[in-house]
Amino acid sequence: MNRPFAPAQIWNSFLKIIPYAGVTFGVVLGTILLGMALAILLFIQGKSERRFVRTLSSSCINIIRCTPSIVLLFIVYYGIPKIALGLFGLNLNFSSKLVYVVISLSLIYSATLSEIIRSAYLALGRTQYEAALSIGLTPFQAVRRVMLPQGLVVALPNLGNSLISLFKEGSLAFTIGLIDMMGAGNLIISRNYGAYSLETYIALAVIYWAITLILEQIFLKLEKHYSRGKEGSLAA
Amino acid sequence: MQLDFSYLVKTFVLCVKAIPVTLEITIVSLLLAVIPALLIALCRIHHVKVLDQLGRVFVSFIRGTPIVLQILIVYSIMPSLLNSLVKSAGWSLNVFEVNPIVYAFVVFGINSTATLSEAFRSAISAVPRGQMEAALCAGLTNFQAFRRVLLPQAAVSALPNLCSITVILIKNTSLAFMMTVREITAVAKIEAAYGYNYIESYIDIFIIYIAVCLLVELIFRKIERRVVFAGVRRVKTN
Repeated sequence: MNRPFAPAQIWNSFLKIIPYAGVTFGVVLGTILLGMALAILLFIQGKSERRFVRTLSSSCINIIRCTPSIVLLFIVYYGIPKIALGLFGLNLNFSSKLVYVVISLSLIYSATLSEIIRSAYLALGRTQYEAALSIGLTPFQAVRRVMLPQGLVVALPNLGNSLISLFKEGSLAFTIGLIDMMGAGNLIISRNYGAYSLETYIALAVIYWAITLILEQIFLKLEKHYSRGKEGSLAA
Repeated sequence: MQLDFSYLVKTFVLCVKAIPVTLEITIVSLLLAVIPALLIALCRIHHVKVLDQLGRVFVSFIRGTPIVLQILIVYSIMPSLLNSLVKSAGWSLNVFEVNPIVYAFVVFGINSTATLSEAFRSAISAVPRGQMEAALCAGLTNFQAFRRVLLPQAAVSALPNLCSITVILIKNTSLAFMMTVREITAVAKIEAAYGYNYIESYIDIFIIYIAVCLLVELIFRKIERRVVFAGVRRVKTN
């Protein structure tokens, strides 16, 4: 390399990137909310009486799982404004890019999440739900008081993994021009006329790595906390 | 909304022609990754001193950072590093004319080393300890026991993981356009840029990726069925 590696620049970029962490976390939070709603919808459809609805839900999940996130992101980003313009005469050209990122990420996330919900439901079994109904709980109560507390514990490791990968997929948002941490890093590089790119990328990598490690630790703690009762029951 | 159907078909054909590039990246990087991944997995299972920690940090870093970032890091460091290497070695090779697919091999190779090592680790530790000991008792050498007893059993339990790793890798290769590799996504992007037909292009590759990934899943399911049933048959005849 003709230019020496400048470790000080890593710290500089780090300080400039950190303020944009809010955008990244916002994207993730929005995705979790919207993705959760979609996932529950997919899950309930998968449990439908009608075969057609079940196939629809499972093929939705399959299709989403086979699509690269970047392709879905571009389809949503270019497709929704076009559909809105064509069908409703709405001009969405200047709407926030955040919306498209959240929509496409929640599509991806909903597929993973509904699989996680399904596996937790399978692990619990239908009997828990039926037992709860038989002692006179309403279906909503049965889900809230019996299924959810147990299911959450079963689903925790998977939830942690999916959240981590969601953070990583969120970094693709810069390709459509959203200024999150990744976008900020790229801005810094172009402001330096392409210099110090490696240092900026290293700063970004450190940030993402730290987020992953922290999330991993949090979920490990949660798992340990919630599986306390289980160890006792196993020993008994 | 109007879709340009003639463009749709034309680009579809062009993108289909780019499928081999995507598959090439996938297969070459998986093949490159197999041996290092196996070594890392073995080091971590047997708690080899320094290598165990190194492997853990490496895997954690690769799994903790987005693949885009890995691509950008390698693509910003590799060419100049290679150039200085080549120059100091005194070869007359112009690094900047190297096919960018080489960098794709490097990135995805490193990335799949990490994911594969985790798959191998879980598969090898899933084989009961008694199997290895029994093989050693029967007079096999360490290597023979590993190759003849441990590996075939581990391979069966690793197959579902391998399938999902391959599919994820195929999806990740869609980011290789950042390294100017002309794979499916890159071709679609280039075609789209001529006439702003973005949505048609992306619908094309949407379909192509689904088809490719479903095909890969199908192939893996076939292999799985064959391997698992072969094992069952062997047990029955014995």
